Amino acid sequence: MLRKYLALMRLNWGLSLEYRAEGVIWLMTNLFSVIMLLVWLSISQAGPVNGFSAADFVAYYMVGLIVRQLTAAWSSWELSFAISEGRLSPQLLRPIHPIHHEITANWSEKIMRLTILLPIVAAVLALTPGVWLELTPAALFAFALSVVGAWAIYFLADYCVGILAFWTTQATAFSNILFGLKIVLGGILAPIQMFPPAIQPFLEWLPFKYMLAFSNEIALGQATGERLLFGLAVQWAWVLALWLLMQLLWRLGVRSYGAVGA
Amino acid sequence: MRYARLFGLFLKASFLVELEYRANFAARAMVSVFWAGVTLVGAGVFYSHTDTVGGWTFDEALVIIGLFTFMGGVIQTFLQPNVQRIIEMIRLGTLDFVLTKPVNSQFMASLRYSQMFSIVDMLLGVAIVVWALFRLRYAPDLLTLAQFALMLVMAILIVYSIWMVIATLAFWLVKVNNMAELFNSVYDTGRFPVTTFQGLIRLALTFVVPIAFITTFPAQSLLGWLDATTLLAAVAMGVGLFTASALFWRRAVRSYSSAGS
Repeated sequence: MLRKYLALMRLNWGLSLEYRAEGVIWLMTNLFSVIMLLVWLSISQAGPVNGFSAADFVAYYMVGLIVRQLTAAWSSWELSFAISEGRLSPQLLRPIHPIHHEITANWSEKIMRLTILLPIVAAVLALTPGVWLELTPAALFAFALSVVGAWAIYFLADYCVGILAFWTTQATAFSNILFGLKIVLGGILAPIQMFPPAIQPFLEWLPFKYMLAFSNEIALGQATGERLLFGLAVQWAWVLALWLLMQLLWRLGVRSYGAVGA
Repeated sequence: MRYARLFGLFLKASFLVELEYRANFAARAMVSVFWAGVTLVGAGVFYSHTDTVGGWTFDEALVIIGLFTFMGGVIQTFLQPNVQRIIEMIRLGTLDFVLTKPVNSQFMASLRYSQMFSIVDMLLGVAIVVWALFRLRYAPDLLTLAQFALMLVMAILIVYSIWMVIATLAFWLVKVNNMAELFNSVYDTGRFPVTTFQGLIRLALTFVVPIAFITTFPAQSLLGWLDATTLLAAVAMGVGLFTASALFWRRAVRSYSSAGS
């Protein structure tokens, strides 16, 4: 398995290198997060908002940029086109599940984007006075764990949406909506603490917060102790649930796909 | 007149094509309603912590949000599909078929196809603006409406020109699609009053990528806050950019020799 992964990784890394320029432009799509940061900065001029100072917003959104890049996934597009155009058939014949190809493509692209993004984020964090991040080894470990979980949740949810292409031609519409839910409820539009207190408990249980905001909260030292453990438990429960859902949908889908005779 | 009739035919042809894909229409309409909802919920969250953003109250900002949704619909219905096709045609050499038609090539290339299902966005935008006016208990008088109509035409001219310049760049550059993507990201600032942003960013959004002229200033004109200077600036910006984009297109077409011809 490891050898297969290394081979796939080399292949996809080559592809990412080839399309470097696209990577740079993809970074520009992060402008949305930057715009939200600017709006919050304009609101927090009058004073801290729900405990967030201007520097906290900067820290939140800068960490968010990194987390968002690390957890981005777009395989539903590739998968749904592969299914609807019949290009999936050769992949099904390979001795490895097609999801592993998408996973390695996702990682190579990510490494490429991070090499561009990290220096920028580091510079902004260093130049903003009053930025504070929780940098203890335990917090860093929890952060890393939560980012992997966040990536797994979004990747799997997105892959499930892609699998829907076995039955519908409109799978990309659903992936668009999944992305939108991540933007609104996942902490890109606003940190979870900015939502009305009545809604917040629900957001703790939904998967969206664990696609981004949760990792930001760990980095900012807002999720510690019991809150941290509760969050990690909910997050990984979602990872497991989505993994099972993906397996189920995949099996059902491939069965009906084969029947069409591609 | 002839051009108006042609444009009508173009619209009809595009509409007929899309009638073939009704499930697509339903899915896209769902996505449009969803994203308008996202913008509104977002505004709700922001305004739960403050009375004004950039000096605009929630009800006033709704006018901007409505215009943002409307203009987004204009872009997706008319501009994006054609610009993508132009880029494709330049790459493949099939632009020749447009150039040899006995009509203005820019007219033909930029308005031939439309994605009618994005009209849902335009309708949603209008609905949000009307809703905002109701909440404000404000009915603009005729003069204000005339000013607003002029500002809206200028806004459409400005977005049209920006997209045409992007498309025309494809005569020389390969990855112009990325620039379209980039414009869409910058356009996201249009859901907020331009006064939300400070310093250089506000200047850039007013004069470099004039998003302010697309949502904030037309909204001001509808609310009756517009001063003569901004109105004149909008007219100058609209007419100027349109002329520049048309000249740019003409120059590009003249120096173009397709590989396939």
